Amino acid sequence: MNGSSFARLLLIARNTFLEAVRQKFFNVLVVLSIAMIASANFFRQFDFGSSELKFIADFGMGAVLLFGSILSVVVTAQLFFSEIENRTALTMLAKPVHRWEFITGKFLGVFLVLMAFVSLMLFLLAAVLYWRESNLMTYPRYADDFANGRIVNYTGILQLVFSELFKFGLLAAVTLFIASFSNTNLYTVIISFFVMIICQLQYIARDSWSDLDNPILRGIVWMLSLLFPNLQMFNVGEQLVFPTEQVTLSMGGYIGLLGYGAIYIAVLLGLSAYTFRRREI
Amino acid sequence: MPLDRESWLYRTGRRLALTAAVLMGVGLACAPLQNRVWGEVKSFQPEMNLRDLEDALGQGVIIGLLGGFRTLVADFVYLRASYYWEKSDRPNTEALLALTTSIDPRPLYFWLNAARIISYDIPVWRVRERGDFEDVPQAYKDHIYQEQVDRAMGLLDRAQSFHPDNMQIPLEKARIYYDKVKDYENAAKYYHQVTQMPDAPYYAARIYANALDNLGRSREAYEFLRELYPTLPPSEEVPQASREVVLERIREFENDLDMPLIERFPPQSIELAAPDPVNLTPFSTTGEGTSASED
Repeated sequence: MNGSSFARLLLIARNTFLEAVRQKFFNVLVVLSIAMIASANFFRQFDFGSSELKFIADFGMGAVLLFGSILSVVVTAQLFFSEIENRTALTMLAKPVHRWEFITGKFLGVFLVLMAFVSLMLFLLAAVLYWRESNLMTYPRYADDFANGRIVNYTGILQLVFSELFKFGLLAAVTLFIASFSNTNLYTVIISFFVMIICQLQYIARDSWSDLDNPILRGIVWMLSLLFPNLQMFNVGEQLVFPTEQVTLSMGGYIGLLGYGAIYIAVLLGLSAYTFRRREI
Repeated sequence: MPLDRESWLYRTGRRLALTAAVLMGVGLACAPLQNRVWGEVKSFQPEMNLRDLEDALGQGVIIGLLGGFRTLVADFVYLRASYYWEKSDRPNTEALLALTTSIDPRPLYFWLNAARIISYDIPVWRVRERGDFEDVPQAYKDHIYQEQVDRAMGLLDRAQSFHPDNMQIPLEKARIYYDKVKDYENAAKYYHQVTQMPDAPYYAARIYANALDNLGRSREAYEFLRELYPTLPPSEEVPQASREVVLERIREFENDLDMPLIERFPPQSIELAAPDPVNLTPFSTTGEGTSASED
């Protein structure tokens, strides 16, 4: 990649990012997510004790997963089709901008949006957890629970930022791939959500194909397990935030997870660029 | 018939074939990496029994579960159960608690809180359904308590299948048996099980001795505490170990069992250093100090 190509990528990414954060949809999602994480404070009335921290973390991570998934799919599709519907893509591609640069720039812009979203949400979650944990530690009745210090692994929350980011990045790359050949925003969004569900269930095909007796069915299930990435693998919140001897994710496993996400993102972007190459705009 | 390379069918077919080939190639190439990571992650992600959930939740929520939102759905169902719990609505509370643990059996607090609600709160609601709490016959109360404790144990047994090595589950069983139905036999069984597990709280061993004492097995409780005492860290380092409390209990047992001096636990440094040393007179019937009951 020469210097000017890199500059073009950055320019497209920057514009995509700015366009996204100016969208009402993005801002509404951010406000909803903040409200959901902050509302976890009200769970104090249930008086869970130290388990309350797990509940708050689960609830917060659930909010990040829900709104992050919506954001990855909807914003990617919206930003892609807004360029086509407003004819700005035509103007842009008439200049010396390659189509793969357009696709990659769009992805980088969305990736930045996702990074801002995930970092903000998990920072907020960490702050809520820290505040509540500090409170609980002052109660003598929970002394046993905190005998070895804090329960929450705050470094794990930092690690979670990257694993969540790669998961949403993968989802955005899937959406971009579908958008590269589909004609409408709505079709892209619906199909992307279906693909997301298939990716969440990929592990079933992956774990069960070898147990099937019928060779044809076995072959089909095996192929399906290879066609889709395993999104379930990214659900490592508990292992990272509340690690114990039995429940933990090794550093090798964590790096492998990020590598797995990065490979799929790169391949899907390549396929998107290939499909978009000859598309009429 | 010659193949038109510019036709929509040809181009789409070629694109699809290439996409499938590339994705399968990546899938194959990433298989070792996926095996490595999924091997670590998989064991913490028990499968859902969708057949049980579909009737209770409806297909919309099932799609949410399939989409990977089981944690969030379980949290909302649990909050709903808590809402009914505040209203003392027994059928809805029990049904939603069961549903929560079916959706996401991973969080231990779902199981533990559900067991506590089933064994401590619901029996009280059931007794009150019969009239004023004081007026209901004790036999009926005991029957209800036992019934609810059995249900809680069933739930905790299921929890154990998901968390086989977690000491919180036998600890919860022991607490419920000890506190709710005074079943010291089962309480002792589970407290003993807890003491054998890593990260067991220090108080579990003390209550195990109490349970044995309540069963009339004071000698066994005494022997257990004698063996336990030297393994406890100093209280200055780990206050929860309550070494002094254990020693006091040992002395109480010695007095209660009228043990001759020769058989007694040797005086410990903390007793000798104390300004008002413990009375070690043999055959004494009154023990010095009080038993700090962990109850």
